[in-house]
Amino acid sequence: MRPLDVIWVGLGGGLGSLLRWWLGRVVGERYHGAFPLSTFIINITGAFVIGYLSVLFKVDWRDRYGTALNAGVLTGLLGGYTTFSSMQLDAAKLTEKKQRGLATWYLVLSTVVGLLAAALGAVIARAQN
Amino acid sequence: MLNIVILVFVGGAVGATLREALMLTVRNPIDGFPLDILTANIIAALLLGVVTAQHARKAVSDDVNTLVGTGIMGGLSTFSSFAYGSFVLLNSPKDRPTVALLYVVVSLVLGYIAVIVGMKLGGAHERHSA
Repeated sequence: MRPLDVIWVGLGGGLGSLLRWWLGRVVGERYHGAFPLSTFIINITGAFVIGYLSVLFKVDWRDRYGTALNAGVLTGLLGGYTTFSSMQLDAAKLTEKKQRGLATWYLVLSTVVGLLAAALGAVIARAQN
Repeated sequence: MLNIVILVFVGGAVGATLREALMLTVRNPIDGFPLDILTANIIAALLLGVVTAQHARKAVSDDVNTLVGTGIMGGLSTFSSFAYGSFVLLNSPKDRPTVALLYVVVSLVLGYIAVIVGMKLGGAHERHSA
């Protein structure tokens, strides 16, 4: 862990968060349904990209710093772009609106599709290697 | 607009750096259970609940909500590492698939409880003043 890693993580985290905020606005302007679509799209695409890049560049899944790719892209950009806390907040808000079934379905669907997206990314990268 | 961009960027940078600090300090058990990512996600869910409830009752400004909620907590928590970590554990030999299942269930249940508790804590004064 070097000072440069901190800069990469911070830069990536800032840019990833901006991308999340921007995409949330774009989706929010076009979609007004009850399902929390913007967080869902953000998390699934982020899971796909981390699976793809990790396998393509043969990054051990515990290795999250040391290079610009690990620190800047995987830990910073993708970590800042995707969000676990907003997913839980979405679910809690649905529960408050008496939509407990949709809240549970949203959490389970995000997790299962997120796992499949990471797997798909890994499979595609393996085919390219 | 530029104001929001700065708040989200700075918050996200701080949050991601905090997560990196957690990854360096929280030791994961030998069975590969990602305790560091779990810790980051649960803390972020709790504090996002607090700031959201405080913002709803106008105890904090829009700017604080954007900096802390969208920026810091969004940057601290991560779904990509959660999903990929679970996927790697699922594909590992030995007892790892069990660990993966435990990780997913514990993350979802604790994260949900954390955000609800956070919202209760953040909205606490509303009930007193009402």
